[in-house]
This record gives sequence, C-alpha cells and structure tokens, in this order.
Amino acid sequence: MRISPGSYDWRSALVICIPVVALLVAGRQVYLSRYHDLTTWKGGGMGMFAGADLWLNRYTKIFIVDSSGQRQPISDFTADQADLLRRALNYPIRQNFLIVARAIGKHDWIPRGERRQVSLVDFNGKKIGTTGESLYWIAPFGIRAPGEKWKWKLEIEYWKVSYNPLTRRAHTTLAETFVFKPEEL
Amino acid sequence: MSEVAREWPSWLNRTKSAAQALIDFVQRCDLVDLIGVLTLFMVLIFPFPHWLFYITGDLALLLFLVYPRAIRSALFWFVLSLAATFVVIVDWHAVDNHKYLFLYWLWILCFCHLLAEPPRQRHILLVNARFFLCFVFLASAAQKFASPTYRSGEMFEYYLYADSRFTAFAKLIGIDPSVPDAVQKRIALFRSPYSKPIDNELELPGTDRARVAALILTWWDAALQLLIGMMLLFRLRATDQAAHVLLLLFIFTTYLPAPVFGFGWILAIMGLTLAKQNFPKIAAVYMIAFVAIIFYQLPWREWVLAT
Repeated sequence: MRISPGSYDWRSALVICIPVVALLVAGRQVYLSRYHDLTTWKGGGMGMFAGADLWLNRYTKIFIVDSSGQRQPISDFTADQADLLRRALNYPIRQNFLIVARAIGKHDWIPRGERRQVSLVDFNGKKIGTTGESLYWIAPFGIRAPGEKWKWKLEIEYWKVSYNPLTRRAHTTLAETFVFKPEEL
Repeated sequence: MSEVAREWPSWLNRTKSAAQALIDFVQRCDLVDLIGVLTLFMVLIFPFPHWLFYITGDLALLLFLVYPRAIRSALFWFVLSLAATFVVIVDWHAVDNHKYLFLYWLWILCFCHLLAEPPRQRHILLVNARFFLCFVFLASAAQKFASPTYRSGEMFEYYLYADSRFTAFAKLIGIDPSVPDAVQKRIALFRSPYSKPIDNELELPGTDRARVAALILTWWDAALQLLIGMMLLFRLRATDQAAHVLLLLFIFTTYLPAPVFGFGWILAIMGLTLAKQNFPKIAAVYMIAFVAIIFYQLPWREWVLAT
C-alpha cells in the first residue's frame, strides 16, 4: 500500500521519524563502543552477541587505600552496590564508577578475620607460592552515620578478560584505574 | 478422471483443520488490532524493568480489558511510549539493545494511531516493520563481522563456558557441565584479589567440542542474520518469502538457547506484520512462534542439568 505523492503531508513524516531516531541512536552506540568502551550489548545498537565484551569479560578490583598507602580489597558488596557495579561495567567511565564509589562510601567497612596471603598461581590455576603481600577481607558493616566523613581513597581497577581459542588461554588486562579522593565520596 | 480416495489418519485431519482455522483466523484479524494486542501482551510479559513501566503497563491492560477500543487510541500508546522512553533515558547504558527496539515499536504504534485512515495506519506499520527487520539483522551482521572476538569464535566459545545460562544448552550438544564449571572456577582466580596468575594468564580447561560448536554457531548466526536482512531489502515476493522462512528459523532456533525472549517476540511481531496480507500460512506460523517463545521460558535448563 503506497501513499501517492499528491497526498504527502506532515503526517507522512511520521513514517520515517522513528527510523531516523533509531539510526542516530545506533550511530551513537557504535561511537561510544569504539571510543569509550560501552559494551556492544547495550545502548541501542544491534551488537548483542557481536563481541566478547559483556560483564563476563569485565570485572573490577576495588581497594580502600589508607593514609599510609596500604590497599585493602573490598570483596563483599551489598546488592545495591553489586548492581551499580555491574551497570558501571557496561559503560566504564569515571562518572559511573564514582556512583559506585559513593555507594561504597555510605557504608562502614571492617576487616574480617586474619590477613590472607596473596597466592601466586600458574597457568593451570595451581598455587605455586605467594607474592609476599597479605590482605584483609573487607566487608560492609552498616550504614555510616550522617556527617561522618569518609577518610580514605578508593581505587577501582577495571580489568578486561580476553580468550584465545587457539591456545585456550585467557588473559586479563588492567584497562584503567580510577582513583577517588575522600572529598569526592 | 477418477480421484483416488485417500484416507488420512483422523489426527492428521484434525491437525489440518486446526491449521486452516488458524490461517483463517489470522487472515480475518485486522492487522492494526492484532499487532496492537500482541504488543500490549509484550508490555505485560516482557516489560521494561522499572516500576513506572510496570504500573503503566498494568493500567493499560486494565483499560483494555474494560474498554477494548482503547487500544486504538494514540493516547493509549503515547502513555506507554512515554513511560518506556523515560526508563530508557534514565538507564540508557544498562538497557539491552532489544529494549530500544521495543521502545521504537511502541512509538510507531502511537504514530500509527495518530493517522485516521486505516490504509495509512497499515502503511506505517509495514514500512517500519520492514525497516527495522532490515536494520536489526544487517546492523547485527555488520557488528558481528567487524568484531575480531566474534569472527575468531572467541565470543561463543567463551560464553559457552562462562555464561551459566548456556550450560544446559552446552550439555545438550555434548559438553559436560563439569567443563564450564571448571572454567568458571579458573576465571574466578582472575577476579579474586587474593590470587595473582603469572603474567595475568590462565589456561581454560575447554574442549574441542566446544570449539567446534562455537565456530558453527558463530558462522551460522552471522550468515543467517545477513541473509534475512538482505532478502528483505529487495521487496520481491520470492525474496520476502525466503526471508520469512529464515526469520522463523531464526526465531525457533535462537530463543531456546538464548533467553532473550522479548527480542524474539518483537521480531515475530514485525515478521507477522509483513507476512499477514501476502503470506497467510507464514503468518499462521508466526502465531505458533509466539506460543513457542512462551514455552521456551519453561525451566528446561534445570531439567536438563538435573538429568
């Protein structure tokens, strides 16, 4: 069924309005994926299953850095923090990780148990020694009192996993480290 | 000429009658109404995950149930579209790509109902259904072919191991669940701050079968999507018919292992839109595809993994 040229009016533009928007959004998604690491699975492109860059290939290591520069990893997150973290991994820019950092800064954190040695593992995942470093297991301990200031820096390391199917080796690369000062949190 | 009397089994006769009844039903339905109802159903069963859209969708359903003609109102679709737009804008980088497609379709229905003349309403649906099917499949194929991690088979192989949603499918193609389990445990060593792999590298205990399956999935998926998109570009009866057969094949085979049911549903809506007038039998098969997508949500993964 065609609209004859003589009957074109402003309503005819409705036919192409949404396709134009879709193309613009998709173009933006491709740009952000290429230059700002937006995952191809989100954001309005058509890149689902088009690449290995979903949250399965991305992860973070988050550290509280005290005044002496000692780093302790945060390993337990509340459900909200874990959700914010997963969202940030879709589009790993500073602003999104700042939201995660602020959510972390709303809680008190305490070490659980004794320090643990950081194990050195070989290609097969077997422990072959230690790195000499030992870290606490840091977990949330309630909401911080209002007005109480966060005293430490927060470091969020953003890592990416790649897999070589020919060698069956997975390799991880530190893509970026985001440092957040206490006053930002 | 005498006809040879053939006695078909009664179940086959009943099946043929039911199939013909379905074809007749789909032909009798008004295109705009049918697509509206199927889209409203999608609003309820595959909604945008936000309280605003849940409430808006529930109210829309209530309104439709007490006043069915509401589904022909542009305002009805405008409210749904606006709620969906708000959700997508607020969460734009966390929203799956197929939700954008759903958003666009809601706006198309809104614009469709702004036009009073039924031929124009059908025109807007037909033009946009064809555009978006071409766009979805050609853009998807382009992004796949442009991606080194896709072309090498890395994506599918890694996800067969690392994504637990594929463990049951992997088992069906002969990859024991202990393989992805072992791989996921190995990958956890990367994520743990208490372990440091040498050179940040680990060997994953994969299998040749997974490698082969990944390569087959990689090229099957990309080729099928490219073919569907290209066939729909020509707007010829023969190529459209081929495109519909391939699209139905895509829907029936993809959304069993890949639990992105909303995507399958919206593709089926668009396919039905294009097929309804010219290919009534194919249109009836799209209706069966909707039922299949619903059944794909059965907990078959748990059943397979439990055996």
